[in-house]
Amino acid sequence: MTTELVSWTAFEWFVTAVTGGVAGAWFVYDAINLVRVRGADGRDPLVRDRRFGYVVGMVIGLVGVVGCLRFHDVM
Amino acid sequence: MTPPDSAVAVVAAGPRVPAAPAPRVVSLVNPANAVTASRFLCLPPFAWAVDQGHHQWATLFILVCGLLDKLDGLMARIFDCRSPFGELFDAITDGICYGFSLILVAAYGWAPVAPVVLIIALGLLNTAMRAVYAKRAGRPVNYKSYAMERIVGYTGYLVGFATAGFEVVFYYWLFVPLMAVIIAHDAKRMLVDPIPPAPPPAAEAAS
Repeated sequence: MTTELVSWTAFEWFVTAVTGGVAGAWFVYDAINLVRVRGADGRDPLVRDRRFGYVVGMVIGLVGVVGCLRFHDVM
Repeated sequence: MTPPDSAVAVVAAGPRVPAAPAPRVVSLVNPANAVTASRFLCLPPFAWAVDQGHHQWATLFILVCGLLDKLDGLMARIFDCRSPFGELFDAITDGICYGFSLILVAAYGWAPVAPVVLIIALGLLNTAMRAVYAKRAGRPVNYKSYAMERIVGYTGYLVGFATAGFEVVFYYWLFVPLMAVIIAHDAKRMLVDPIPPAPPPAAEAAS
């Protein structure tokens, strides 16, 4: 077994793609979910929990994308 | 003219009422739980890779562990074997796999110790509150939180960031306040609010 699977540059871009791709998709997915529940009854604890979860998902997605940009010195 | 015997029997029995289907019993040994349990098999090779300093192999093993986490839910839907025990087992497996991995990468200096200690402490606090919730419910039940589901996904990534050396400090320190806010949000529902009624027997796990 070799110590490395691929070159380090390829590995870094693989991690960037997996992180940035998933985080970006996650942001969009939860943004759509949040829009879908905007008309729901806010007094229902389950609806409030879903809204909070979707906002958290969007924040996590944003953090993921920003981390990728920081890693490549874009930000 | 006399009616046939079968007609007499139907009249004597009265109107036919469709019988209720027997409750479906989901065995504890099912494909979804097997996939969940198989995640533990990723830990020994992961520990070996970290010990040997093989960053890419360690990333691969934690990636497989994370993919299996997604696969067990898919298996549960395909084989229709969802159960409260399965959900609880999945949550416990998340805690053990990611908790062990985080401690390991921190111990080997691949991740900052302070945020890892805080993350483990918050995870233990969350586990304790879930235990209180299950005790209040009086049955094996997993507290459903949309926000916690998302932060658990982030936890899997945290291990990957450490093994890949990918913006480790940035991702670890941002995780801590996010998890603290989620636990504070979930605490009221777990410890104070009324617990939803149990699902019908069809969804219960068999012993």
